[in-house]
Amino acid sequence: MPEDKRDDKAFKNEVLRLAGSEALTCIQCGTCSASCPTANLMNPSIRKLIKLCLEGRRDEALHNETLWLCTSCLLCTVRCPRGIRPKAVVSALKEIAGREEKKSKDASYEELFVKQIEQNGRIAELPLTAEFLLVFPQGMVSSMQMGLELLPKGKIGIEIDKIRGKDEVKRIIEELRG
Amino acid sequence: MKLAYYPGCVSQSTGKEMDASTRAVCTALGIEIEELADWNCCGATHVSNELVATGLAARNMAQTDLPIMTACSICYSNLRTAEERLKEPEVLARVNAVLDKKYREAEVRHALDVILEAMPDGDERIVLPLKGLLVAPYYGCLLTRPAGLYSAEFPVILETLIKRLEAEPVDFRKKTACCGGPIFMPQEKAADDIAFGILSEAKQAGAEVIVTVCPLCHLMLDAKQKILEQKKGEKIGIPVLYVTQLVGIALGLGPEELGLFMNTVSPMGIVEKAYERMANES
Repeated sequence: MPEDKRDDKAFKNEVLRLAGSEALTCIQCGTCSASCPTANLMNPSIRKLIKLCLEGRRDEALHNETLWLCTSCLLCTVRCPRGIRPKAVVSALKEIAGREEKKSKDASYEELFVKQIEQNGRIAELPLTAEFLLVFPQGMVSSMQMGLELLPKGKIGIEIDKIRGKDEVKRIIEELRG
Repeated sequence: MKLAYYPGCVSQSTGKEMDASTRAVCTALGIEIEELADWNCCGATHVSNELVATGLAARNMAQTDLPIMTACSICYSNLRTAEERLKEPEVLARVNAVLDKKYREAEVRHALDVILEAMPDGDERIVLPLKGLLVAPYYGCLLTRPAGLYSAEFPVILETLIKRLEAEPVDFRKKTACCGGPIFMPQEKAADDIAFGILSEAKQAGAEVIVTVCPLCHLMLDAKQKILEQKKGEKIGIPVLYVTQLVGIALGLGPEELGLFMNTVSPMGIVEKAYERMANES
């Protein structure tokens, strides 16, 4: 098969399973891209991303900045004239990307976020930020700037709050994933 | 009516003033709340697996039989989305298989909606009407999207509330635009540009204050405002209040109770102006 016609059906089906089969009805109208607050930075655009999934182009759909530029604002989702949820397609791709060995800094952030919930049931922003900075030290300067704003206001939570039901929360994450 | 209050994780850190002002306003308006027992994180915008996100929300909703109120639009959107998904029998069965307390049904309300209902037009408890105050109603994303009670494109509930306090909503084009918050750690530049766009727009619209219903919007517009001003070389200087703080001011509650000293851009000028105006009128 020619290079440009690679069609990974298993990948396509996994995206549809996670994000809903209505994605098959996409007419490539571009309403999603036109609504997206970070569209100007995306390559591929959100419209094209959906097409890449439908054509089973796994690598191009998974390995791009587009997934991580999505702010989860859901404008695409409330505007899609076909009732597709483009944000859910992005989430599906993030989920699939998260299963890979080698992770981008953005995927690591999501992984650390979920790990915190898994361990404690809640998020404490300081430990989360600290862990992320180990993966992405370039974020140190701006995190310090934020810290200097928040610290004198008493708005940095240092204690990690563990809930009684943390084992149940861990089970929710482990068993419903997949 | 009694409600279970879901404070959300930020209530213990960057959103402390959201939590304080919500509790203070509820007390002042006679809205009875009890904190949701042993609540967990809703997953915010960082749990990509929808079934896991639904499970996390379902565990929260299964902790009580009361209607659940939250002041955080992210928690609100997640709980409402889960409530919709849990109407599918297959989803409900899978989620309940892992929950200790089983989910049956839930009613989820945003504090904004609860407050508006408890505070009718001309309510005498509004002791400090905010006459002439120009307020930018900033909805952000998740109060109205995806499954909110309100129009996702043309919501008016914030304007209704602002007018009820006798303040004046400004025409704010970016009122339902995203603040960039969910990507501010790993994609800082993109998030900064978006947030600064909202602030500039509010300034151009002539707003004296921006009102928000989401702790992440608040973080981007208030806690980051001075940093953004430095980066962009443009002064904004507009205080950003949680809707509960704005209501609390009009109800005559004190700055400590409302956490007004926790805001980065001080809103005290606005409070003082409102008191001066009232003194001049009487």
